[in-house]
Amino acid sequence: MNDFDPSRRQFLGRAGLLGLGVLGAAGLAGCATSANSGSGGKAGAITLQSNLSSAQAKSALQKVVDMFGQRGTGSVTLNTVASETFRTQLPTYLTSANPPDVYTWYAGSVANDYASKDLLLDVSDVWRGLTGYPDSLRTLSTDAAGKQVFVPMNNYWWGFFYRKSNFAKWGVREPQTWTDFVGLCRTLQGKGIPPIGIGLGDTPWVASAWFDYLDVRINGAQFHRELLSGHQRFDDPKVKAVFTRWREVLPYFDPKGKAFPFQEATTALLAGRTGMFLIGTFFADAAPKDALGDIDFFRFPIIDPAVPLTEEAPTDGFFASAKTKDPTTTKSLLTFLASVEAQEAYIAASSGTVLPANPKAKAADTPLVAKGAAMLAEAKEFTQFFNRDSSDALQPTADTALTKFIDRPNDVDAILREWQTSTQKVFNG
Amino acid sequence: MVAQQQAPVMGARQQAPAHGRRRWVDRPSPLLLAFVLIPFAVESLWVFWPALQGFYLSLTHWDGISPPEFIGLANYRELAGDATFWLALRNTVIWLVLFGGLSVAGGFGMALLLQRDRRGVAFYRAALFTPVVFSLVVTALIWRVFYEPDGLVDQILRAVGLGNLVRPWLADPHTALYALIIPALWRQIGYVMVLFLAGLKAIDPALHEAARTDGANAWQRLWHVTIPQLRGVNAVVLSVIVIDSLRSFDIVWSLTKGGPYHSSELLSTYMYSSAFQSLRLGYGSAIAVVIFVLAFAVILGYLVRAFREET
Repeated sequence: MNDFDPSRRQFLGRAGLLGLGVLGAAGLAGCATSANSGSGGKAGAITLQSNLSSAQAKSALQKVVDMFGQRGTGSVTLNTVASETFRTQLPTYLTSANPPDVYTWYAGSVANDYASKDLLLDVSDVWRGLTGYPDSLRTLSTDAAGKQVFVPMNNYWWGFFYRKSNFAKWGVREPQTWTDFVGLCRTLQGKGIPPIGIGLGDTPWVASAWFDYLDVRINGAQFHRELLSGHQRFDDPKVKAVFTRWREVLPYFDPKGKAFPFQEATTALLAGRTGMFLIGTFFADAAPKDALGDIDFFRFPIIDPAVPLTEEAPTDGFFASAKTKDPTTTKSLLTFLASVEAQEAYIAASSGTVLPANPKAKAADTPLVAKGAAMLAEAKEFTQFFNRDSSDALQPTADTALTKFIDRPNDVDAILREWQTSTQKVFNG
Repeated sequence: MVAQQQAPVMGARQQAPAHGRRRWVDRPSPLLLAFVLIPFAVESLWVFWPALQGFYLSLTHWDGISPPEFIGLANYRELAGDATFWLALRNTVIWLVLFGGLSVAGGFGMALLLQRDRRGVAFYRAALFTPVVFSLVVTALIWRVFYEPDGLVDQILRAVGLGNLVRPWLADPHTALYALIIPALWRQIGYVMVLFLAGLKAIDPALHEAARTDGANAWQRLWHVTIPQLRGVNAVVLSVIVIDSLRSFDIVWSLTKGGPYHSSELLSTYMYSSAFQSLRLGYGSAIAVVIFVLAFAVILGYLVRAFREET
């Protein structure tokens, strides 16, 4: 190393220059790619980011997207992501520099939360073209600033689902009141069947349905909405009453439900390994189609008849990123998705257990759907679901509190205090 | 050799200050500067600058959307009183000790067993290394099937009459963390084994020969010849283990997401969920700074000792 021979030196010099050249080229390439992404690809091509990942729902949405493509006003790439990942990544999608254009997601507080951060496209023009939609849906799709940010596709409902053939075999009937319900649980357990199925492994949010329903049955929808928007406290005695009621049926939960996701809880229900399952109709997308005829449901039992009847009836639909490079195609896709044609096509191609948002579109002609629609028609008030009535950021606090309660019901006071603390952190940022 | 080479250099410096070598010391050539400064600039842009920004963000309140707001040490004060943070820290230490300790013990043991070329040994080495090739998410999927209710683990336990031990492995707060360490080890042992195998191959066989001639038994040869000779490899293994422990994330996230109710939370998963689920990026950055300090302290402690031994 002592004497630096000229040929070696020359070589290193050239290598150095070469390195600089490569660096320069990389820099140029960097500029080139950023320029490309800046122009947003060819006109009329947009991305639809979807969380409808079960096979039937995914292919049904693909069909609808293909129908839009055939109209020649633009092409859509459907990008499907597992629901749990989608929920956690949604803020990242929306805040990224080059986000997907359209998203499947929820109306109400959760959409308003994103809209308040200027992340959602104003779709008021789309709404001007929508005729016959009820005012309730328009309100649900409107943000705090008064502009529409959401286009609804369908509604569905939650309830206790069961197999008719199994209930007949066990000689039990649908309960009407809470007392009936506890009695039903006792009977099923006596027959060696875990009465209440649940799926909390990987999908801990399913437990929030229990919290929502007990709260609206005991304290009413108004209190529930105030609680979820931070105007009431989780360590309030009224909230504790919810858990006291829950404890009465906690021994009847399927102990295996902690370990598997709701899709497997669906399988357990259909195979007769659990008696019933509080879930939304979306579970049917994960069920074999031949089992659908045997499925029935009953409404969450009434606890206090004085409380106005509330049902959990979430509205699904679409919103778009404020940063979309092609608002024209994005809005024309949203207009199409709100049409009778698109909504009926989706229902025909999926499990058909949803109710179309467009009042002129027809729902699937099955007794199950008719019963669901009738139940919703009877309700005085609707809630959406825990995260939809609050925000995606508050959902993890509920998951922690509720799974902990199911494991350690004796610690309920400490759990509610912790829940209140973590809620405050979410609201204060 | 060294002395012979240095003498003329010194002489040259004293006698002929204008000689080429002198210039080299005083004014480095532009080429040398370019070789040092360009990588430094690149590194600064892509590594040091984001790292410094991370420090700055840990002093702010930021939801990732509106501009960050400076709040001093409030995030750190909140950390000090955050039970979940202390739980995650405790779990990370357990992880570091168990995952780190067992993967070194297992990897070293396997390397000793498989270092000699016997028939079929290549097959065993490949078999042990295979888990390293799988993506951790795939590993997680495989282990999820093992752990699921009435899955392989439960079936085996029932078959050997230990059915009363059966529990929801990943959903029970007492077992979740340990049920996650096993798949992480399953993968890491193969990796550590390869590092040690390379180290063992580099040991001069003459040393063992000499020790054997002196009457050292297998244990003494292991303790006094093999292990001291592996010092260089040990530094690499230690760094790899500490870094891998502290950044263990994917296996935990894909199996339990730190649940049930934070019982398998590590600092890395808590950082992620704080930053990207609760959208508290300032708080998440403060946790990231703690992870950095921990990693740095462990590695620095080792490096200081290693340097002291050398001088």
